[in-house]
Amino acid sequence: MKDNSISKQIEIKNSIDNLSFLWLACFKNEDLIFQYQDGKENRFQLVKDCFEELKYFILYHKENSLYFLVDLQKGNISFMNYEDKDSEEKKNNIRLIYFRRNRIEISGDKQNHTVTYHLGYQYSDLQGNNRKVILEIYQNGSWIINN
Amino acid sequence: MAATFVFSERNGAGEVVTDDIANVNMGSVDSVELVPASYPITRGDNSFCKYISGKFTGVWTQISNLKFWKSAGALVTGETIKASANAVYAQPSQVDTGDSDIPTTEGTALSLNSAEGAATIEYGVSGVSGYTGNVRLQTQIAVGASAGATNQKTYTLQYDEI
Repeated sequence: MKDNSISKQIEIKNSIDNLSFLWLACFKNEDLIFQYQDGKENRFQLVKDCFEELKYFILYHKENSLYFLVDLQKGNISFMNYEDKDSEEKKNNIRLIYFRRNRIEISGDKQNHTVTYHLGYQYSDLQGNNRKVILEIYQNGSWIINN
Repeated sequence: MAATFVFSERNGAGEVVTDDIANVNMGSVDSVELVPASYPITRGDNSFCKYISGKFTGVWTQISNLKFWKSAGALVTGETIKASANAVYAQPSQVDTGDSDIPTTEGTALSLNSAEGAATIEYGVSGVSGYTGNVRLQTQIAVGASAGATNQKTYTLQYDEI
């Protein structure tokens, strides 16, 4: 029988609760856009529309102090005190990479929805090759480098 | 809020759409959320095919990279599951769909489009329904298959959202 209980509705339907990390965009003119601001969500489209003016992009945990920061001027990504080793390399045309990968499994009458965050940047090296640095971040804050 | 996802199924001659289905049980009737024990698939026969899709509501910017595959549930001897992506709806029947075996890994997964045929689902664009294309599924049971229930299957739909 279909479970229409409130807990089921919250588990499956409330996509905000599926997100443990939220984003914050910081622009060169000091403007900030939070994913959630004044009780409503700002679409990522607002950031896409101003990619050229983006200075930092931060992914922060809703319930603890974990955060990841992409510096779009230098071309590096940091997790708390960790900074990627390639940060001294000369990088051109630095662009943000960010998306949430959603995986929904349906098995019998059960569904499981997991979200992982893919955060990083791509750039052109001195030879003109396109390079990517991407972290795959799990809901609990653990992460792996996924170049 | 971010995008909210539910599975949907289409049935009948009139393509009745049921959103937020509880399961993808296969059987010998064209019905959503059927009870397999009540509608078993006879050896040498096929299940009624099912048309499954995803539906997005809420707020997002872009949905992309939609994939579908069978991620768990071993097949018993004589059992096969056929599947195709972005299938045009036709009233479900037990006739062999002629589709390929369902992929069982992310790397070989079916690639889904939007219901309108685009590779991405854009928010707020005129004419975008929020549905993915249909995945057509059919279980086929060979004459020589073992008697009894088959194993429960897990199907996975994956997408990227910004």
